[in-house]
Amino acid sequence: MSGSLNILVLIKQVPDTSSKAGLNPDGTIDRAKAKRMLNPFDRFALQAALHSKKVTNGKVTALSMGPPPAVEILLEAIEHGVDKGFLLSDRRLAASDTLATAYALHKVIQHLGPFDLIFTGLQTTDGDTAQVGPQIAERLNLPQVTYCEDFSIEGGKLHARRIVEGGHQTVVSEFPALVTVANAYHHLEYKTIRGARLVQELQRNEELKAQYIQTITLDDVGADPELCGLKGSPTIVAHTDKVGQIGGRCVMHQGKSIEMLVNEIAAGTNIKEFVRQ
Amino acid sequence: MTEEAKTPPVVPINANQPIGEVLVFAEQILGQLQPVGLELLGAGRDLANKLERPLTAIVLGHNLGDIPKTLIAYGADKVYVADHPDLEQYRTLPYRRVICNWLEQMPVEPHTMLLGSTTTGRDLAPRIAAHFKTGLTADTTELDVGDYEHKGGADPSKIGLYANCLYAIRPSFGESLKARILGPWKNPQMATTRPGVMIPLKPDWERQGEIVQIPVELDPTDYRLVVKETFQEVKKGVNLADADVIVSGGYGMANAEGFELLRQLADCFENAAVGASRKAVDVGWIPYIHQIGQTGKTVRPKVYIACGISGAIQHRVGMQNADLIIAVNKDPDAPIFKFAHHGIVGDVYQVVPEMIRQLKQNQSATTKEVSSVV
Ligand SMILES: Cc1cc2nc3c(=O)[nH]c(=O)nc-3n(C[C@H](O)[C@H](O)[C@H](O)COP(=O)(O)OP(=O)(O)OC[C@H]3O[C@@H](n4cnc5c(N)ncnc54)[C@H](O)[C@@H]3O)c2cc1C
Repeated sequence: MSGSLNILVLIKQVPDTSSKAGLNPDGTIDRAKAKRMLNPFDRFALQAALHSKKVTNGKVTALSMGPPPAVEILLEAIEHGVDKGFLLSDRRLAASDTLATAYALHKVIQHLGPFDLIFTGLQTTDGDTAQVGPQIAERLNLPQVTYCEDFSIEGGKLHARRIVEGGHQTVVSEFPALVTVANAYHHLEYKTIRGARLVQELQRNEELKAQYIQTITLDDVGADPELCGLKGSPTIVAHTDKVGQIGGRCVMHQGKSIEMLVNEIAAGTNIKEFVRQ
Repeated sequence: MTEEAKTPPVVPINANQPIGEVLVFAEQILGQLQPVGLELLGAGRDLANKLERPLTAIVLGHNLGDIPKTLIAYGADKVYVADHPDLEQYRTLPYRRVICNWLEQMPVEPHTMLLGSTTTGRDLAPRIAAHFKTGLTADTTELDVGDYEHKGGADPSKIGLYANCLYAIRPSFGESLKARILGPWKNPQMATTRPGVMIPLKPDWERQGEIVQIPVELDPTDYRLVVKETFQEVKKGVNLADADVIVSGGYGMANAEGFELLRQLADCFENAAVGASRKAVDVGWIPYIHQIGQTGKTVRPKVYIACGISGAIQHRVGMQNADLIIAVNKDPDAPIFKFAHHGIVGDVYQVVPEMIRQLKQNQSATTKEVSSVV
């Protein structure tokens, strides 16, 4: 058996991809106009963190970075059984790229930690880079298990199975470690009754809520604002092109019987050359 | 005086900065060179020629055999080889240390570093980028170099013209936009690219290049994670890369059974596979290995039949180089009709069965012809 672990899970609120999010002229996303949701990949990270809490009798803290509405996903995490939530929210973080984001988050982790295990989703649905987790691990000088699809905690070590090109791999890592959880991991379980009741109460009682969820700024964790936001980001979106038409004009087939439309395709292209004989 | 002479040419801010080489990380698994490394050399060769700098490759492993020579045949001028038993299998910390140490001792750091957007590349690239505090763009679909004029933004100290910037181009969040992402302030400028996106050069086995053995000095902390076992799975019959015909379905297929119908259409062809949009994958109608697009596979089949796919930019970048694109969509204004070659406006559940019927008819007709000749 391992001792109880101090666990951190990093979660992010993303624009709901089923609704259309606006893009600012400078290439950043207009998150205010978009509907919001918990990044779907982070649901697996949350499940991994809660499982680790259960098997080690440990504690889970959830950390997010984003504008104030991101408190919503911290409440959601508490409903599922997370013990405490922190939101790093600061205007100077606006337009941070992955390097600047990882810098800011690693400062918070140093401030709140030390943690034995840090879970993140494999990637987000808005950025899709999968970079922030490993960039935090680099800053904190931690071993990392990316693409983790299952794991156990035995003898004070993490035994993990990860996805690799064309197969799988089993690894054993010392603590502390950072794990990015793939969507092949177990689905997030239902909210706990206790968690749901607690959140109902937190929504009525601001004072109590402040004990469970804290919003912090760069100053609270001693982060250098020069290394955050646009200033701290080595990459910029310099240019966006509307994607034009490529190739020839599309030959449209419509307004006739389906049989005729399909016949036009069969006659007007070379697809018959590929038919199985 | 002529008009031109009055305005002196703008001198780029970075005009006096030395420009380094273009470096490609060549991935090997169990001694097998992965094709993505060769594809990156194809793209890197073009960048290196434009920058007039050498194209180099770095490969780590143990008993690498002909791999360095192969990299030269595919366009590398110089290959850095780290050969050590502890590098046989990829592990983040040892690989990261060897590469970062090597880059650090270079008199001029590489201008650009490219990695495959594979499970290994996506594990390693962000570590290197964070170590050098440099920019990294994921899943690029095009690469180029050129000028960039920075007009301000949050940091006025950076205003000015920059020459020879890496253009890392990828579809952006939101539809039908391509973003050009730059980071000219710090080298190496880094990018990852998915397998299948870039095109390798034809190998030239006479090509000469330099092979440099590089030092491997690991630290005890690099052994905090050990690899127990790696399993390679037998490929299940999805071979999108080599299929002549891809029948692909999107959210318009409405359910998993719809993909069964597409499989039947694919079965009409000699060498065909079934593809999918991400939305169809996300709702669970078909596994991720079938996904085509920016975050899935990039394909170049002879025929691509898109059924109930709207044609979002992230999907388009994965299939736009097909020789023939046929789209079936009930919405005449669907974006896919902007770049398909032939479009049928209609319901997939009417059009696809009719396609199957006509192709089968054609099939039996030809078989008859053949038998009558015999
Ligand atoms: C960072 C990022 C990466 C992404 N990567 C990828 C990727 O790799 N691959 C990918 O595909 N997408 C990717 N996407 C998602 C992409 O933006 C689109 O959301 C997705 O491609 C849409 O899938 P779709 O065309 O199947 O669905 P929809 O956009 O919902 O289109 C469905 C289409 O079906 C048509 N239709 C509906 N019913 C019928 C019917 N009965 N008969 C005929 N037509 C019908 C509709 O008219 C519509 O055009 C990515 C998005 C992001 C943000």
